Amino acid sequence: MSLLPAAGLVMILVGVASHYATRSLQGFSAFPAANVALGIALVLVGAAARARAFRGFSGAASRRVALRALAIFAAGAIAAIGLGVASRSWTARLDLTVDRLYTLSDQTRSLCAELDRSGAVAIELVFFEDALLAKDARLLVAAYGAACPRVSIRDASRSEPPAGARALYTTTATTVIACRGGVCDPVGYPSERNITAALLRLSSERSPRVFFLIGHGEVDLASESDGGYSGLAALLRDQGFDVRALVGPAAAEGPAGADVLIAAAPERDLLPEEIALLDRWLESGGRMLVLAEPGLRSNLYSDLLLRWGFDLEDGVIVDAAASPLLENPSPLNLLVHLFAPYHPVSRTLSRRTMVLMPTTRPVALARKPQPDDRLERIAFATERARVDHDLTRALAGRSPARSDAAIGEPAVAAAGSYPRGGTGAAGEASAAEARIVVIGDRDFASNRLIGALYNRDLLLNAARWLASDESRIALTDKAWTPNQDPLTLQQTVAYFYFLAFALPEALLLLGIYAWWRQRA
Amino acid sequence: MIGRVLALARKELRQLFASPIAYVVGTAYVALTGIYFFQHLVSYNQLLFVYQSEGLGGGGFDQGTVPSHINVLNEVFVPAADDFGLFLLVVLPLVTMRVFAEERASGTDELLLTSGLRPFEVALAKHAVTYLFVVLLLAASAIYPAVVVSRAALGFEHLIALYVGQLPCSSFTSSQIVAAVLGYSIPFVLLDFAWLSNAVSEPVARALGEIALLGHYGSFPRGVIELREVLYFASIAFLGWLASLTALELGRAR
Amino acid sequence: MSARIEARNVSKRFGGVVALDDLSLDVAPGEVFGLIGPNGAGKTTFIRILTGFWLASEGDVRLDGVSVTRDRFRVQARLGYACEQPKLYADHSVDAFLRFVGGLRGLHGAGLRGAIGRSIERMGLEPVRGRRIGVLSKGFRQRVALAQALLHDPPLLVVDEPTVGLDPAQQIELRRILSGLRGTHTVLLCTHQLHEAEAICDRVALLDRGRLAAIATAEEIRAGAGLEALFLARVGRSAQAEPAT
Repeated sequence: MSLLPAAGLVMILVGVASHYATRSLQGFSAFPAANVALGIALVLVGAAARARAFRGFSGAASRRVALRALAIFAAGAIAAIGLGVASRSWTARLDLTVDRLYTLSDQTRSLCAELDRSGAVAIELVFFEDALLAKDARLLVAAYGAACPRVSIRDASRSEPPAGARALYTTTATTVIACRGGVCDPVGYPSERNITAALLRLSSERSPRVFFLIGHGEVDLASESDGGYSGLAALLRDQGFDVRALVGPAAAEGPAGADVLIAAAPERDLLPEEIALLDRWLESGGRMLVLAEPGLRSNLYSDLLLRWGFDLEDGVIVDAAASPLLENPSPLNLLVHLFAPYHPVSRTLSRRTMVLMPTTRPVALARKPQPDDRLERIAFATERARVDHDLTRALAGRSPARSDAAIGEPAVAAAGSYPRGGTGAAGEASAAEARIVVIGDRDFASNRLIGALYNRDLLLNAARWLASDESRIALTDKAWTPNQDPLTLQQTVAYFYFLAFALPEALLLLGIYAWWRQRA
Repeated sequence: MIGRVLALARKELRQLFASPIAYVVGTAYVALTGIYFFQHLVSYNQLLFVYQSEGLGGGGFDQGTVPSHINVLNEVFVPAADDFGLFLLVVLPLVTMRVFAEERASGTDELLLTSGLRPFEVALAKHAVTYLFVVLLLAASAIYPAVVVSRAALGFEHLIALYVGQLPCSSFTSSQIVAAVLGYSIPFVLLDFAWLSNAVSEPVARALGEIALLGHYGSFPRGVIELREVLYFASIAFLGWLASLTALELGRAR
Repeated sequence: MSARIEARNVSKRFGGVVALDDLSLDVAPGEVFGLIGPNGAGKTTFIRILTGFWLASEGDVRLDGVSVTRDRFRVQARLGYACEQPKLYADHSVDAFLRFVGGLRGLHGAGLRGAIGRSIERMGLEPVRGRRIGVLSKGFRQRVALAQALLHDPPLLVVDEPTVGLDPAQQIELRRILSGLRGTHTVLLCTHQLHEAEAICDRVALLDRGRLAAIATAEEIRAGAGLEALFLARVGRSAQAEPAT
C-alpha cells in the first residue's frame, strides 16, 4: 500500500483515539479534528494519485474481469446493507439467561392481548440510552414491542421523547418511562413486573381515585393561598388521578372506593370510629399517604400510625448543613438529598434531585405490626442533623449545637408495605398489600413549594406507588440472584496467579514447543 | 470444492501454529483478558463487601442486602465482554494481516492460483482458519469465566451467548486483504461513530450509529442472541470475504 | 497422455509497457518445447498467461482446445507448473507439502498416497521426505517443485528455469528427468541456458522484446551453427550486453 493512504489512516486512527481519550475534558477539540481532517485528506490524495496512475485495463478480458468483480462486490454490499436495514425490525432472539430475564411471561402477553382486543390507546415505552441500565432495558422493552401490538418503543437518544417523559427523566435511574397520551409513568427499575405494572396503570379504564381526608384541620385542597393545596390537586389531576375530598365522619362516607387516601397534616384527633375504619381499610389492603408537620397533635400520628410502625414523636429536624443554596439559609429548611436508592418512591431521586422541606418532623420507625411487614426509611436529613423536641426554641433559632436527641441522618419520610388478605371483586379472598407513606412535612407540597426543586417528584412517586395495583400482577421480579458471596483472599490470589500468569505461561510454553519441533 | 478448501485450510492452520506469532498473539490476548477479568472480579468482590457491611451508610435498605443489579453479570461479565471484544480487535490483525501479504511476498500465491483453486475458495479457507483461531482464543479465555459461571450459577447457556458475540467481532478484521491494506484503522474507526456525531447532521449520525460495532454488541454479554445482530455481524463477515475475493480478482485483472 | 498448446496473437500490456506483442506459437503433444530469450523477453509473462495467473490483453492460449481466458480452471487441472525460484512453503515437510498440493489437485486417500510415492520416487526425494523444505538444498527444492508439478500426472508440465543454481550433477539429473517425460507428457521449458535447450528440446522458440524472433527444430539447430549463433543472428546482440531486469 502506498505511503499517503497508510499515513492518512494512521492519522485518522490517532484522531479518533485521542478524541475518546479526552472527550471527558472537552468536546471534539482541535487536535483530534486536525488529525482526522488531515488523515482524510491524505487518503483522498493517495487515492487520487493512484487513480491518475491507472493506465487503464490491459485488455478487454481484464476489463471484463475487473468490472465483473466490482459488480459482484457492489451487489453483495447492497444485499448485505439491504438485509441489515430489513432486519432492524426483526425481533427473533434466543434468550439464554437463567430465568429467561428478557422473555415476557404469559401474564404480560395476555395483558397485551387484552389491550389489543380492547383497542386501548397505544402506550409508548421510552427508554434513555444513557441511563444506568439502558442496555438491559433495551432488550426488555424490545420484547414488549414485539409481543404487544398496542405498545411502541421509542429510543430517546434517537428521537425526542414526549414532554411528559422528558420532564420525568430526572436521574439516570429513570431508564424507562411509559406514556399514554400526555400522561407518563416513570416505571421505576426496568423489570418486567414494573413495566407491566406501568402498562396496567396507564391502560386502566378508571383513573386512580385519590381521596383527601378533610374535617380535621387538614390543608385545604381548594385553597390557592401559599399554604393551600390547590396546586397539588391540579398536579394529581394532570397525572391522571381522580381527586376527591373525603368528608368525615366516616360513617357517612368511607374510604372504600379510594385507591389512595391522603391525610394532609390533620391538626385534630380523628373520631375513634374513623380511626377504626381507617384501620380496617388498611387491613384490607388500603393505601395511605400521611403528611405531618412539627407541632401537630393527632391520634392519627400517635395511635394509627404508631400501630402501623411509624413513630412521629413531635420535634423538628435541625440541620446545620441545611439550605446552603437558599437566600435565607436556616437550619430548619432542609434540602433533602439523601434517599433510599431502591425504594420505588425514592429511587428516581438522588443527590442531584433535592427536595425542599421547611420545618420537618422526624419520621422514625416503630415495631412492625407483623413479621412479614416491611418498613423502610426513604429520605433523610444529613448526618449533622439533630432533632429538637423543644419546638419553641427550635423555631426561634435557638437550638443547641447538639440537641438532646442526638441522632444522625434522621428520616424525613418513610414507607411501609404490609401483605394482607383482602376481598376481591367477586367477594373471594385475595392477596392485597397495604401501603403507607409518611412524610414529615406538609409545606413541601403547598402551592408555594410544590413547583420547587424536585418536590413534586417525591409526591408523585408516592402517589403512584400507593395507587399501583401490582397485586393484579402475579409476576415476581425475575431478580436472578446469583452467588453474591465475595471471594476469600486465598481465592483471589489463586485467581490472579491463574489468570495473569498460569494460562499465558501455558500458551507460551506451547509456542516454544511448537517452535522447537519446527527446528528439529 | 470442499476437498480443496479443506486442504488449504489445513495448510493455513499448520502455518499459523508453526509461526510464533499465533502463540504470541494468543498469550497476549489471554493475558490481557485474564488481567482485566480479574480486575473486574476484584472490584465486584470489593463492592460485595461494601454492600454487605454498613460501609455505604445512610440505611435505606435492609442491612446486608446486596441490590440485585449488583451481580456478577453486570459487574464482571458485561464489562469484561466489552474488554474481550476490544482486545480481539487489537490482537487479531497481527495474525490476519500477514496471511495474504506473506503469500504474495513468498510467491506462493502463484502456486495457489495456478493449481485450480478458485479465488472464492482461497478466501473461504483463509477466513475459516481465522475464525477457527478466534474460537481457539476464546476457548482459552473462557476458562476463567467458566469457573466463575459454575460458582455464580450464571448458566452455561449464557456463557455461550457471550462467546457467540465475540466471534463476530473478528469479522471486522477477518478480511485479510482488507486488514493487510488498512491495518487497524477501519475496525477502530467503525467501532463507534460518536466521534463524528458533532460534525454531521442527526440523520447521518443515526445512520452511522446503525453501522457502528458497539451498538450491535450489547445483547450478547447479557445472554441474548438477537437474530438481527447475528445478521449484522454475518453481513460484515460476508463483506470482508467479498472484499478478499474482489481483491484477488482485481489482482488478476492487471 | 500429453497436451497441445496453441497460442494465437497473444499480447500483454502493463500500462505503456508491452510485455508480449502478438505472439503465436504451437506446441505439439509429447513435445519438449523450449522458450529462450534475454531478460524481459516475455517468457515468464507467456507462462503466467498460459497457467492462468495473468490475463492476456489480447489473443488467447488454448490447451487441447480449452481457452485459458474463458476456462482457466480446466486448463489448470491439466497442467503442472514449477516456477522459477520454487515457491514452496518452507515450514512444511516434503511429504506434508506434497499432501497439501495433492489435496488442491483433488487427490485423496490411496490415490494421493500413491501419487506422492511415485513423485517422490521419480524425483529421488526419499532421503529428504520428512525434512522441512526450508532446510533443503536448492537442488532438492527444485526437485520438490517438480514433484508437486507432476503429482497429478498432468498432460502438460511447465518449468521455468529449473536448473538455475544447481551443481552440474544435479543439472544433468534434472535434464534426464525432463527428457524422460518426452512422449508421455508435453513439456514447456523456459530457460536461459542455451546448451540446455539444445540438449533436451525438440523445438526452441526465441523471444525478444515480447515478440517471437525465431522457432527452430533440434535438427535445424544441430545442422546450423547452434543455438547461440541463431540467438545472435535473430536477437542481434550478445547476451552479456543485455541489461539485467
